[in-house]
Amino acid sequence: MNEASRHTYGGSAENQDGEKVFFGLWLSVGTGIVAAATFGYFSIVASGTTLDISQIGIASISIGLVLALIHWMIFNLYESELRRVIAHTESLVEVERSEAHGETYRPKLGLMAVVEAVDQAFEGLRQRMERMVRQRRELEVQVRVSDAARRHAEAILGSISDAVIVTDEFNEVVLANETAADIFQFELATSLRKPLEQVVSDPTLIKLIRDTREDDALVHRRKVEHHINHHGETKFYEAALSSLVGSATERGKTSGVVTVLRDITQEKKIAETKNDFVSNVSHELRTPLSSIKAYMEMLVDGEANDEQTRSEFYNIIQGETNRLSRLIDNVLNISRIESGVVRVQREHISLYGLIKEAVEVMKPQARAKNVELIFTSQVLLVQVFADGDMIYQAVINLVSNALKYTPSRGRVTVSMDADQHRQIVKVNVTDTGVGIAEEDLPHLFEKFYRVKDHKNLAKGTGLGLNLVKHIIDTVHAGSVKVTSRVGMGSTFAFTLPLVSYEHLEQGP
Amino acid sequence: MKRETPLILVVDDEIHILHVVKMKLANAGYEVITAEDGEEALEIALQQQPDLIITDYQMPYLTGLDLCIALKQHETTRTTPALMLTARGFSLARKHLDQTNICGVISKPFSPREILTRVVEQVEGEVSTWGHTP
Repeated sequence: MNEASRHTYGGSAENQDGEKVFFGLWLSVGTGIVAAATFGYFSIVASGTTLDISQIGIASISIGLVLALIHWMIFNLYESELRRVIAHTESLVEVERSEAHGETYRPKLGLMAVVEAVDQAFEGLRQRMERMVRQRRELEVQVRVSDAARRHAEAILGSISDAVIVTDEFNEVVLANETAADIFQFELATSLRKPLEQVVSDPTLIKLIRDTREDDALVHRRKVEHHINHHGETKFYEAALSSLVGSATERGKTSGVVTVLRDITQEKKIAETKNDFVSNVSHELRTPLSSIKAYMEMLVDGEANDEQTRSEFYNIIQGETNRLSRLIDNVLNISRIESGVVRVQREHISLYGLIKEAVEVMKPQARAKNVELIFTSQVLLVQVFADGDMIYQAVINLVSNALKYTPSRGRVTVSMDADQHRQIVKVNVTDTGVGIAEEDLPHLFEKFYRVKDHKNLAKGTGLGLNLVKHIIDTVHAGSVKVTSRVGMGSTFAFTLPLVSYEHLEQGP
Repeated sequence: MKRETPLILVVDDEIHILHVVKMKLANAGYEVITAEDGEEALEIALQQQPDLIITDYQMPYLTGLDLCIALKQHETTRTTPALMLTARGFSLARKHLDQTNICGVISKPFSPREILTRVVEQVEGEVSTWGHTP
């Protein structure tokens, strides 16, 4: 066999080949003889002449030899071409062959070989197709699984209340959630694979993301405060930008950015309120403290020349000390009562006596402001079942407020009455002060709430009324209400459940 | 116009503070007038042209700072120096100071002694010094 006939299969199964050719030859001779004999017989029968057996024999053998020669010629001359044909047909099943046999393989020659080869080619094709169908099914399953995983991830993203936007190395949006779509006003479905600039119209944020992406640091995460204007309302966010370093990209290069925006508007507001509160408290503490220090120094320096002046100084110092003490109480009480640290001690108390005492304590402050403070009552012996200290504190706060917002020459009236039908006692604190606007009324009892216009008017922590409401409404099941007219004055009224009372013709 | 007895205007919404500062200065021989808020103070200042103003910062209607700014804008009070009392504990910004004639800031709680010292410095010394008491 010549070299050209050795195909990619290589190998040297010459013996095999030789055998096959030999076998092919014999087959051809046999076929030839049989064919010739049959033909001779039938032609003799047909023509009617008789022939020698030997003549028939010779003819048959000759024909057989001719056929064998032809066979040999064909397969020799066209060996390489035939091999190529077989090889091509078998190349269709090449993979299976080498897998199955694991050895080098040479295509057989001969008619049978060609038929076999074609048959095996078709068999191989069939197997291949089956495999492809299997693979396709597996791929379908994988696609479903990865789809489900993706949907799962999207569902997780969707449940996160922070806004999430993931961008790739081309600054295109890869993933985003509902919250992000809400904030930046884009359609979630159409945002995929779009450039960031098209989806989000926030130049500051775009720049942030770009910077994070271009920064080649290995693991990069930064937190930045960011604000967005939402229909005129500014909301504050904490933006956390993390760069993704993927294995599919060059080592150390950022493959994308994950941006998470957390709404901190409320947080900031609370922090600001707290800061304001601390600032206000310290300011309020310094005021009575200033008086105490100043008057003490005057006494020490002998600036009070006579007994009357000295006496005046002592009273002022005492009054301011009490004021300071009340302020601190206010601040502490709020948090303590609300957190349940202070135990409510209820007993039968005479409301008249309690209010009268509170009013007396506030009288010096009223005098200092040149405001009249009076207490009237239609009833005398009123008993409630309550925590005396708390009610006392509530009355003090209401009177203190009234005094604060009533200018010189005004009046604050505390009045008490009982309603036997409804079994409640009513206490009113009325002032002729600046009054409160309607829009402020619902907020008055909120913690730290201070009427804007009044901030310049009087100092305050914004806690007094909140404490009153808590004491009356929550602890004692009463109710606190306010009515007011701007420029005229306000009335704060609270009610408490009644235990017993005695009516009096006139108050003190 | 230099008076024989310097006239000092004290402004504060806290009556006790007004009272004690007035007493301290009066005892030292000065003439003292008082006001309880910024608006009242401005009126009085324009009318009586005191030699020095001592004012609280946080007051109703007109803050101490606004008062001083307003005073500087009026011809009659353009050069009137002012001492600022404040419980706020902050330093006034330079740009605010430049709009006023504030020559000193005293924080509360304050010492009446110190107020007197500053007043004397200012009125007698004829020197405008910038000082801040911690």
